[in-house]
Amino acid sequence: MILGIETSCDETAAALVTEGGEIRANVVSSQADLHARYGGVVPEVASRRHLELVAPVVREALSDAGATLDGVETVAVTRGPGLIGALLVGLAAAKAIAWSRRLPLVPVDHLDGHVASLYLQPDPVEPPFLCLLASGGHTQLLDVRDHGEHELLGTTLDDAAGEAFDKGARLLGLGYPGGREIDRLARDGDPHAFDFPVARVPGLDFSFSGLKTALLYAVRDLEPAELERRRADLAASYQRAIVAALVGRVREAAAATGRDRIAIVGGVAANSALRASLPDAAAAPLALCTDNAAMIASAARWAEPAPYPAYLGLDAYASR
Amino acid sequence: MLTLAFDTATQAATSALVDDSEVLAERVSRAQTLLEDVDALLRQAGAHPGDLDRLAVGIGPGSFTGVRIGLAVARGLALSLGLPGAGVSTLAALAAGAPDALPVVDARRREVFALLDGEPRVLAPAELPVEAGTLLVGDGAVRYREQLEERGAEIPPDGDERHLPRARFHAALAGEPVPVEELEPLYLRVPDAERGLRP
Ligand SMILES: [Zn+2]
Repeated sequence: MILGIETSCDETAAALVTEGGEIRANVVSSQADLHARYGGVVPEVASRRHLELVAPVVREALSDAGATLDGVETVAVTRGPGLIGALLVGLAAAKAIAWSRRLPLVPVDHLDGHVASLYLQPDPVEPPFLCLLASGGHTQLLDVRDHGEHELLGTTLDDAAGEAFDKGARLLGLGYPGGREIDRLARDGDPHAFDFPVARVPGLDFSFSGLKTALLYAVRDLEPAELERRRADLAASYQRAIVAALVGRVREAAAATGRDRIAIVGGVAANSALRASLPDAAAAPLALCTDNAAMIASAARWAEPAPYPAYLGLDAYASR
Repeated sequence: MLTLAFDTATQAATSALVDDSEVLAERVSRAQTLLEDVDALLRQAGAHPGDLDRLAVGIGPGSFTGVRIGLAVARGLALSLGLPGAGVSTLAALAAGAPDALPVVDARRREVFALLDGEPRVLAPAELPVEAGTLLVGDGAVRYREQLEERGAEIPPDGDERHLPRARFHAALAGEPVPVEELEPLYLRVPDAERGLRP
């Protein structure tokens, strides 16, 4: 069994996954409520919380699986990218557990983890496929050729898609995390009420900063009463523009690579408009879209484990 | 009683393996490589992780990230090996190594942590109670050497032993061990974002 630990952003997570990709336990302790009052993730607040939660989530995962650490053969942990102080908490705890039992440790790239969320039972997606990874921290188009092997086709030049949702939500006076709030409000709005621009950048990259500015101007131009009345329209139109940008690139990438199978992962994959616009895309269950440790343990199945004691001095990385 | 002690709150992470009161081995490196040290300490003493009886862990004050690395390692070891542990203030360990000195740890942002009347506090170096002949130790004293010496403080040379919170002192100072998850960092500062929320 593989013990996975993930602390790269604002979820403290631990999971137990078998070599065959069966989830025995998947515990995620979200800090979203903690960060809501700041309107976004505060690194120092997140790191403090990870330290409080890292041992309890591991213990809970073991208890959920009816297992002990004696049943763990490999420890997998997110090494990066993410908030460095947050990553170091999970990495230190994972190294300590692995060291104390002479277990191998697999340092996992968080983005590989998101892709590997698709490989978990009961309905694993088999490569090759085209993958859209969209979350609060990342927006990438990947040509996934095999397990643990992909090529980056496009990435965001500025904000991540999830970040665009968060910033838009703030402009509309909505809560955090913004994706969920906009998704909810957009259901009562007209997605064509406002014509927000979809940025055209070369290649298969993305850009969302212009869109955020367009929303800022639209909000500023409306009288308070009118703004209140049209908030749902603004949310729906803003969401439509983000989704259109994502879907457009996915279709272009599919044409360019000849891949006929598409998968979406990351927190933004939970967005109902995105799912509706890509009805043919495979997606992990909602619980595996947002950050979790089962995906980290899953990715470890195709990575080279570092044997004891090679991993003892391992450091985390904030970005690749 | 085999005690594994470490402190990662300051730039130099210290560790020690202590049997009752006998120091079997000691190391100094950085927080990120703490487990390399721990591994080397046990090898040197011919001990196995399962031989450990308790942990003695530095809880700061010092670098927030550093303190967290130490406590996360402690939590991982405790969870895996069923070990209890005792938390020891980094300032108290410094004081134990230099009984007639005032321990001063760098707090960044032009501030230091110091033990005043037995209480850990965060303050500007200029606010330290220094008179002619006051002996200061710790990386905070080293960092602000010039201005503190100007006020009459005596600070040992940079490489002096007394500037290090040697983990052997953590082992010596450790009180009754408790569940390691109850050991909390001594931050002494709220996160900036939280400060912004207050009126
Ligand atoms: Zn993520």
